[in-house]
Amino acid sequence: MNFKLSEEQELIRKNIREFAEKNVDPIAAEIDEKERHPAELFKKLAEGGWMGIPIPTQYGGSGADYLTNAIVVEELSRSCASTGFTVSIHVGIACMLILLFGNEEQKKKYLTPLARGEHMGAFVLTEPGAGTDVMAATTMAAKDGEFYVLNGTKTFISNGPLADTYIVFCWTDKAAGRKGMSSFIIPKGTPGLKPGEHFHKMGLRSSQTSEVVFKDCRVPKENLLGPEGAGMMNAMTGFDHGRVGISAQSVGILQAALDESIKYSKERVQMGSPIARHQAISWMIADMATDLSAARFLTYHAAWLKDQKLPFSKEAAMAKLFCAEKAMHHTIKAVQIHGGYGYIKGAKVERLMRDAKITEIYEGTSEAQRMVISGNVLR
Amino acid sequence: MPGVWVLAENRSQTLELLTIGRFMAGKIGTSLSVFLCQDRESAGDYMACGADEVLLLPEIAKDQSLDAYIPILSEEAGKADPDLFLIASTFRLKEIAARVATRLNTGLCSDCIKIYFNDRSGAVEMERLMYGGAAVQRVVCQSRPIMVTVPPRTFEPAGTESGRKGQIRSLKESPRSAGRVLERKRRERESKDIREAKVVVCVGRGVEKKEDIALARELAEVLRGEIAGTRPVTEELHWLPEELCIGLSGIQIKPELYVGIGVSGQIQHVTGFRDAKVICAVNKDANAPIFGVADMGIVGDLYDVVPKLINELKK
Amino acid sequence: MPDIVVCFKWVVDEAYIRRTSSGDLDFTSVDYKISEYDRNAIEAAVRLRDAYGGSVTAMTVSVPEATKGIKDALSRGPDNAVFIADPSFRDLESSQTAAILGGVIKSRMSCQLVICGEGSGDFYAQQVGPRLAEILGIPCATYVQKITIDGGQVIAERKAEDFVEVVAMPMPALVTVLPDIGTPRIPGVKDTLMASKKPVVTLGKGDLERIPEASLKTVGMKASRMERECEKFTVDTADIARFVGALQRKGVLR
Repeated sequence: MNFKLSEEQELIRKNIREFAEKNVDPIAAEIDEKERHPAELFKKLAEGGWMGIPIPTQYGGSGADYLTNAIVVEELSRSCASTGFTVSIHVGIACMLILLFGNEEQKKKYLTPLARGEHMGAFVLTEPGAGTDVMAATTMAAKDGEFYVLNGTKTFISNGPLADTYIVFCWTDKAAGRKGMSSFIIPKGTPGLKPGEHFHKMGLRSSQTSEVVFKDCRVPKENLLGPEGAGMMNAMTGFDHGRVGISAQSVGILQAALDESIKYSKERVQMGSPIARHQAISWMIADMATDLSAARFLTYHAAWLKDQKLPFSKEAAMAKLFCAEKAMHHTIKAVQIHGGYGYIKGAKVERLMRDAKITEIYEGTSEAQRMVISGNVLR
Repeated sequence: MPGVWVLAENRSQTLELLTIGRFMAGKIGTSLSVFLCQDRESAGDYMACGADEVLLLPEIAKDQSLDAYIPILSEEAGKADPDLFLIASTFRLKEIAARVATRLNTGLCSDCIKIYFNDRSGAVEMERLMYGGAAVQRVVCQSRPIMVTVPPRTFEPAGTESGRKGQIRSLKESPRSAGRVLERKRRERESKDIREAKVVVCVGRGVEKKEDIALARELAEVLRGEIAGTRPVTEELHWLPEELCIGLSGIQIKPELYVGIGVSGQIQHVTGFRDAKVICAVNKDANAPIFGVADMGIVGDLYDVVPKLINELKK
Repeated sequence: MPDIVVCFKWVVDEAYIRRTSSGDLDFTSVDYKISEYDRNAIEAAVRLRDAYGGSVTAMTVSVPEATKGIKDALSRGPDNAVFIADPSFRDLESSQTAAILGGVIKSRMSCQLVICGEGSGDFYAQQVGPRLAEILGIPCATYVQKITIDGGQVIAERKAEDFVEVVAMPMPALVTVLPDIGTPRIPGVKDTLMASKKPVVTLGKGDLERIPEASLKTVGMKASRMERECEKFTVDTADIARFVGALQRKGVLR
């Protein structure tokens, strides 16, 4: 067993931390408040190769491993969970799916600008009536010669309003059940594809979320990602990768909660001593630090399995479940440690607590993770 | 002739080094020599302040920098074998000290804050800060001369003693150095350099909003001092310019009086003013760490204390 | 097209130094980094190469575990590195570091410009640069804010207390640089991954000439502590008056 990161991974962690302190920390509160997508920040991330870390250099990526990507998502999320998440969904799902299932031409045409960070990707699966229950989706792709014609409405699509490349899942043969779903790469501007209503969220507010509506959207068959009918399998693979990203995001949130709690509890004096010396507070911090370590190990382990080309679906679900729930639990504690000051807008812990909640919901709710895990261990 | 040597760029630095030079020369039991390059009329003055010998450095051409003195200094030291060579820590002299030390094959204690004769070991011991001020390193030098650079304002300037005499010796011309000075540009400062201020009022996080800095500013005016801030107030909140940030990541000051207003007293900040002559603090929290490093502290709400203080000072 | 050598030091990251409850320094969980000032030096060297051509060699004297430092340095743009390593090189004194660097540069390398940071982040003795220049017998400018190259000369703008001195030095020459020289880049992912593919010459003690004894010896190191008697005052007017009186007596009111 080896718990030590490589020298490159350690250096990359320091570099992204420095990047985040310089470029993300100063704007994190503002972009949350204004629900603003910081395009200038993503331009800088693209320049440093942070938008395509695990993608081979021949397709515009940086050629690092998936664990390195998790470390970067973690460090970005420690400064701003929205930023970490935007990178996570872009790389972990959009880029990874084209890398894994796209043909050479698709990789050149779509993956390369995505991995370079020139384009932004989105994962388009959820529908108003189909969240955890993917089978309840209703968006259809009807075959018409060399084309498919898509109709339907997708919702809660992260990067929905600003993506250049949409990875879209819909039925090509509803009757075939799980084998009847297919996935498509659809560039923005395709007639009939339109980002719909924009959502205002409780947390993760600078991440842009909207509906994506398809109305007689004609897509040539060469945009099919993988064979017809492979959509469900592609979606599940996407989730496995995405969940490692959400785990890393949760670890970043948890680390930030711990950082803030340690700092505040050492400074804040009540009843004659810093509150860090009060057992009620110091034990909360001890639990937080312990869960953070466990969360990080679960996440890195899942990423490491992926890098070793070993099965990691169960581990990704475990990491996602644990990290998300611990992030939520401890950000509430972090606000508690801060007392009234933690409830005021502008306190970082207030933002962390709002941001943490979504990690228990998206890319599979905690309940969905328990389904995956129990399905795996009760097999 | 062995002895203690002093080299500085100007009069005030020289006088400060004469203070410690005189003291160390007494301890070692030797004489005190001082180098003089520009204001030659100071020679008598320096002798009155404790120098036994004034060594006149030759004038150097306008396109030469102080490093032109390296050969003479090294050669003289080689001949005279001084015990201790005290040099002011200025940008130019720090380089010259290191280069002379290399030529003399000896050690150099940079930015020494304390120097004394250890009677037990019979050695000159020196202290300096390291790790950004978190630690004090104590060193001895095992070769001759012991070379030391001393930051300006570390010691009090030497006072005159009437009737003191000494000799003046002119040093010979020096070969030209390889570098040629093309131009000297005066440096413009954007804001007042608080390192020069005798009194500094420093604002910490206890101040609730930007407008309230006016209160601290008023106090600074009554004290005829300047205003500064902790890192959160300057670099994070930008209530004051970053060049007014005192601490490890900012600037280090050594005023006569430091007054912390609503400053908690984190070590990184404290490092920036640890050597102030008098440290005062106003904080409502009696247990704030600042009181552990202060000479005098007022425990109370700064919004109550500062106006009262201003009133009292105006009297 | 100058060939540039840039020297750096792999130092304890002071952010990781803790204080024990008794007030001593605790180094048990420290991490290391390229001394901040040396990151400026590397940046300056790389920018000069990009402007004038030539090459940049990063060089350090350290313990064998500092391989991460070599990768870190190379990820910031130099073309290759010289790593002089021995377990005994943990606490070298400035004169020894300069002697080792000087010996290697003289015997094995040809360069027109040597760049160092103004001082190291741990000891900050600010001696290695000027000492190295003396050992190499080349002109030197310290605390430099700006460097340009003009034919066979280096034009350096160096800072003094009240003025900036612009000096021209024939090459080879050495400069030590201030942070004003340029903000160091943050290496991108590929820069870090490519760093381990760049050539590194590793030298051990056996490849070096005799290393001189340190004449400056550290005889003690302790956490810096301030001990002042804090006299406390309350907010009532009489106490405030007493406070001002005390200030008066201390002679700090003007």
